[in-house]
Amino acid sequence: MSPQPPPINVTDPILALERVSRIYFTKGNIFGRGGQRVVALNQLSLTIGRGEVFGLVGESGSGKTTAGRLIVRLEEPDEGTIRLEGKDITHLKGRQMRDYRRRVQMVFQDPYQSLNPQVSIADSVAEPLITNRIGDPRDYLQRVLEVLNTVGLSPAEDFVYRFPHQLSGGQRQRVAIARAIVVQPGLLVADEPTSMLDASYSAQIFDILLGVRGQMGATIIFITHSLAAARYLCDRIAVIYHGHLMEIGPAASVIANPKHPYTQALIDATPKFGRCEAVPVYGTLLSAPREAADLAGCPFFPRCRRAERLLCSRSYPDWHPAGPEQVALCHFAQPDHGAGAPAPGEACRLGGA
Amino acid sequence: MPLLCVENLCIGYHTKKGLLKAVEGVSFSLEAGSSLGLVGESGCGKTTIGMALMGLLPPNGAISEGRILLDGVDLAQLSEEELRQVRWRDVAMIFQAAMNALNPVQRVSWQMTEAISTHRPELSKDELLRQVEGLFQLVGLPLARLHDFPHQYSGGMKQRAIIAMALALNPKLIIADEPTTALDVVVQDQILKETKALQEQFNMGIIFISHDISIVAEVCHHIGVMYAGQLVESGSTDQVFYAPRHPYTQALVNSFPTLTGEKKKLTPIPGEPPNLIGTIPGCRFCDRCPRSEAFCKLEPPQWQEVEAGHRVLCDHC
Repeated sequence: MSPQPPPINVTDPILALERVSRIYFTKGNIFGRGGQRVVALNQLSLTIGRGEVFGLVGESGSGKTTAGRLIVRLEEPDEGTIRLEGKDITHLKGRQMRDYRRRVQMVFQDPYQSLNPQVSIADSVAEPLITNRIGDPRDYLQRVLEVLNTVGLSPAEDFVYRFPHQLSGGQRQRVAIARAIVVQPGLLVADEPTSMLDASYSAQIFDILLGVRGQMGATIIFITHSLAAARYLCDRIAVIYHGHLMEIGPAASVIANPKHPYTQALIDATPKFGRCEAVPVYGTLLSAPREAADLAGCPFFPRCRRAERLLCSRSYPDWHPAGPEQVALCHFAQPDHGAGAPAPGEACRLGGA
Repeated sequence: MPLLCVENLCIGYHTKKGLLKAVEGVSFSLEAGSSLGLVGESGCGKTTIGMALMGLLPPNGAISEGRILLDGVDLAQLSEEELRQVRWRDVAMIFQAAMNALNPVQRVSWQMTEAISTHRPELSKDELLRQVEGLFQLVGLPLARLHDFPHQYSGGMKQRAIIAMALALNPKLIIADEPTTALDVVVQDQILKETKALQEQFNMGIIFISHDISIVAEVCHHIGVMYAGQLVESGSTDQVFYAPRHPYTQALVNSFPTLTGEKKKLTPIPGEPPNLIGTIPGCRFCDRCPRSEAFCKLEPPQWQEVEAGHRVLCDHC
C-alpha cells in the first residue's frame, strides 16, 4: 500500500524528499481522549532539480504548506529523509543547521504577519545577515539597498527607514522576499506569496521570483492553490491531495493535459478568465463524497467520479505514464486516450451567456 | 425603471489627516435579475460603496453627495429606523469574512431564525424553523447540521450559511463582498456556481465586489472597474474584459495569469495608487499610465462612450 516514488529522473538534483511523512495529533478532550491522527504528508517523494521553479499545487489541507515547512526545517518529518545536494539534513543540529538556514530560505504567505511592525525595513532586511554573520557589518546598509533594488523597491533609499505599516501589501511582500534573498540562498520556498495580496500585485511578485532565479540561480519551490499562477511561473508542478502525490510533470503539459482526476477537478474549478470559447469540463469530482476507501485504497476514491469500487477502494494505484516526463497516480491514467479525454465543452462560461 | 440607480455618489471619511474622499462621483444602475461586478485594488472604494448601499458606513464616514435609488426610494435620505426596515428585507449582504460573520456562541439555526423574526415577528417558532430548513436545502447544507455551532462547520459550509441568511427575506438586491476570498479553489467554484443559479432562480440583483477579475468575469453580466474612488470603465463583461479601453483595465487584464491560451509575459502595474486625502485635479491614474500626457494631470478626464453601453473615463480612448 505504501506509495512508490514517482519514476521520474531529474538531472542535477538539489533537493530530494524520500518517503517523507508528517503526522499531527489533534488534542482531543480534556482527558486526552478522542485525539486523532492527521496524516499531513504520506510518504511523499519528490526530487527537485537545480535552478528549477517547482510548483506544489493542491487545495487547503492537502499538505503543501507542511511540505514547505519540512523543507526549510521549521518542522522535522516523522519518517523519511530530506537531502540537500545529497546530504541528509533531516535531523541537522547546531552549526550545520545554521549553515542550512543560510542556504534555504522561505517567503511566508502573509506579509502582514511575517514582518515585525516595530523594526524598520533596513533592520528587518539586515537581520538575516547579522544572525548568519555574513560579511562586514559596515557594508550591511549597502547590501540592503542592493537587495531592495533587486525586488523593485526603488529608490531603495526612500524605503530603508520606513516601517511595515507605511507600506502596501505588495511592498511588504517584496520586503519579505528581500529578507529571504539577502543571504543568497540556493533554495527559496515561497508559500502562497500572493494569496493575501491584491490580484494586481501578483504579477510583480511573480516577476521578482523569476528575477531571483535568473540573477542568483536560485531554485524556487512555489506553493500555490492557483493553477494559473503555477502555469505562468513553474517549470514543473506536483499536485498533492491529502498528503499524497497525485501527478507530477512539466507545468505546461500537466495543465494542458491532466491525467489524474484530481488535477482535472482542480482545473475545472479554476476560473477560466481570458477566454470565451468552449471550455472542456472534465467533471471528475463527485458532488457528494462517498464513504472513504479502506486504508489500502486510492486516497482520492471518496471524491472520484471515475473510480470503480472493486479496484479503486481496495488497491493503491501505481504510477502510470501520462506524457513525456509526466506521471499520474491513477489506475486509469493513460497517455492521451481513455481516462484523460474531456467531456464535450460547455458554451462560453461568461456571465453574458 | 432599473432596480438600483446610483447617481454621482460621493462618500468621505473624516480622518486625523483630513477628509478622505473614498468614493467620488460614482454612477451606475442595475436591472432586476442581473449582476454587476465591481473590481479594483484594495482601497479603491468598492467595499465603501457596498456598505453605503446597506447603510452601514462607519461613524466617521458619510455620504456627502449623490443619490442611491432602490426602486425609486433614495436610501441616502432615509432615517436610521427606515433604513433598518429596508436592510435585509430589500438589500442583503454576503460579508467578506464568512468565518467571522457568524456568532460563535449561538447555534446556526438560532441565528437564522433571529434574522427572519426581526423582520417578520408574526411568524411562529415552527414556521420560522420550517423556513430555515427550506433555506438550508436551497444552499445545499445538510439538515442534520441545522442546530450545530458555527465552529463545527467547514469554511465552505459557513459561507453557504451566510448565503442562506442573505436569502432569508427574499431581498431584491444582494451585495456580495468578496464572498470567496477565504475559500479554497474547489469550494470557491461551487459557491460561485450556486450563487449564480440562485440569483437566476429568484431574479435578484447582485452586486459582486472583488479584487479578482477572473472571479467577476465568471459570474457577472456587467462590470464596473474602480480606481482610486472613481469608476473608470463600465460595460458588459465581454466589452470590459475582452476589449478593455481604459489603460488601468488593460493593465489589470495583462497582469493576470491565465489557465489556457498562449502563455504571454505578464506586465505588472508600476507604482501605487494615489493618496485620497486632499484634491486630485486631473486623472487619478496618470502617474502609472503608459499613455499619459501633460494635460492629464491638470484636468479631470471626461466620460467617453466607446460602444453602446461601454463607457470609459479617459480622454485618450
